[in-house]
Amino acid sequence: MSEVLTVKLKEMLKPVNGFHMNSSLTCLRILQAVLELKKEEDTIIISKGHSAPAFYVLLWKMGLISDEELMSFAEIDGLPSHVTRGLPFIEVSSGSLGQGLSVANGIALAKKMDNKKGRIFVILGDGELDEGQIWEAAMTAAHHNLDNVVAIIDRNYHQLTGHTEDILAKEPLAEKWKAFGWEVREVENNVEKLKETIIELEKINDRPKVIIARWNW
Amino acid sequence: MIESFREAFGRALVEIGKKREEVVVIDADVKGSTKTIYFEKAFPKRFIQVGISEQDMIGTAAGLAIAGKIPVASAFAVFLMRAWEQIRNTVARDNLNVKIVGTHSGFSDYMDGSSHQCLEDIALMRVLPNMKVVVPADAYATKVLLEQIIDTYGPVYMRLGRDYAPRVYEDGTKIKLGKANVLRKGKEILLVAAGTLVHTALNVAKMLEKLNVDASVIDMHTIKPLDEKTLLNYAKRAELVITLEEHSIYGGLGGAVAEVLSEKLPRRVVRIGTVEFGQSGRDYLALLDRYGLTPDKIYQKIVQVVM
Repeated sequence: MSEVLTVKLKEMLKPVNGFHMNSSLTCLRILQAVLELKKEEDTIIISKGHSAPAFYVLLWKMGLISDEELMSFAEIDGLPSHVTRGLPFIEVSSGSLGQGLSVANGIALAKKMDNKKGRIFVILGDGELDEGQIWEAAMTAAHHNLDNVVAIIDRNYHQLTGHTEDILAKEPLAEKWKAFGWEVREVENNVEKLKETIIELEKINDRPKVIIARWNW
Repeated sequence: MIESFREAFGRALVEIGKKREEVVVIDADVKGSTKTIYFEKAFPKRFIQVGISEQDMIGTAAGLAIAGKIPVASAFAVFLMRAWEQIRNTVARDNLNVKIVGTHSGFSDYMDGSSHQCLEDIALMRVLPNMKVVVPADAYATKVLLEQIIDTYGPVYMRLGRDYAPRVYEDGTKIKLGKANVLRKGKEILLVAAGTLVHTALNVAKMLEKLNVDASVIDMHTIKPLDEKTLLNYAKRAELVITLEEHSIYGGLGGAVAEVLSEKLPRRVVRIGTVEFGQSGRDYLALLDRYGLTPDKIYQKIVQVVM
């Protein structure tokens, strides 16, 4: 199935010179795992908004958008280049990096106040972790024991102008999140592995969780 | 009578909290200064602390709004502006029901100096689509307008001073969000003011009587959306329009008034406000005097223009 989606993604991005193609390619399986596990009460926040094409391809696969709509990507009044509020599953617009985790915390806090169920999945880019707000939000989530927040980092080692470790080193990444009070898992970027990890993390109920999804180039 | 903006805000929040279950308050470690500490004491479970991180505070408030709460995010005005891009891209762009309250605006945090004195926030907030901008003139207006802000869907920026709030309104006076209050009906000169300078404008109008100049005074507490109808009605009969604000003359109330008049009813507009950063002072009124925002200084400036 992944092969079909990759082909579709490339077809969709052909008229726009590939628009952040790598970001979408490595995010495809993460989004697929989350969408397959998503329950009614769960929320998905795509903080790395430039992976919108991957998300649209999955919506197409689910029959929620047509071929024609898919090919309207980035056309005026077509599918927006970064996800926006009002699209299926999308509660908050993206495009500016570093903001999704704070929003997830807000939803998580409201759910706790109202004793409501539901996980909040936040898809983060590894380059996005350069933004200071991510670490502000990481502290907030841990401080408030937001065990309903599940962050997934698309660890593709790639950001806009080069290799992540050349631009601004992220490692030791798992240790950083641990030190911030998060439950950390490092897994291969693979749909089944990601799903297993997400399910396994449901047992943890006193702190937020982060999955570092490593991409093997 | 001199009251306090932040006291009025803190107490009004508690009263509103009793009526509206969905109201939650979020703080960036300034609850004692903004007086949202009263809300925390009354409703500890509906008070969220995120530490000294205004960007995270705005994002968290956005999430709370998405989940159906009515979050009030409050901090010093100037430090909220640190989260301008979060306010733009998340709150305003998605038209989320987040209420942002900036305290210590203008020169009101006189002791802390230029880093803490916010003279640009009206301009920064006014430029954003969906965002409403409200600047109450006194403690009573703060309470009355806050109630309406909570009851109206959509993002709002409310701008408050720290303490110094001379009374403009009698209790029970009608103040409606989006509708300017005409406090004095005159002829030759129209004074349009916001915040603490509404009280000042009334004093200036009295001083102008001595020169046989009859001035109108409008409290433009809602700067966006601007009540153009009232502005045009009173500008029509005036030869000169003067705007008064504890804010930069670029892009604030003066900018808003000049934009409307230049398109719809050309009049000479003199903008009174600031054009530079502030500085430390031991006394608020002395600092206002230094920047030409006391009744005497404003009166002198108007006399120069008229003569």
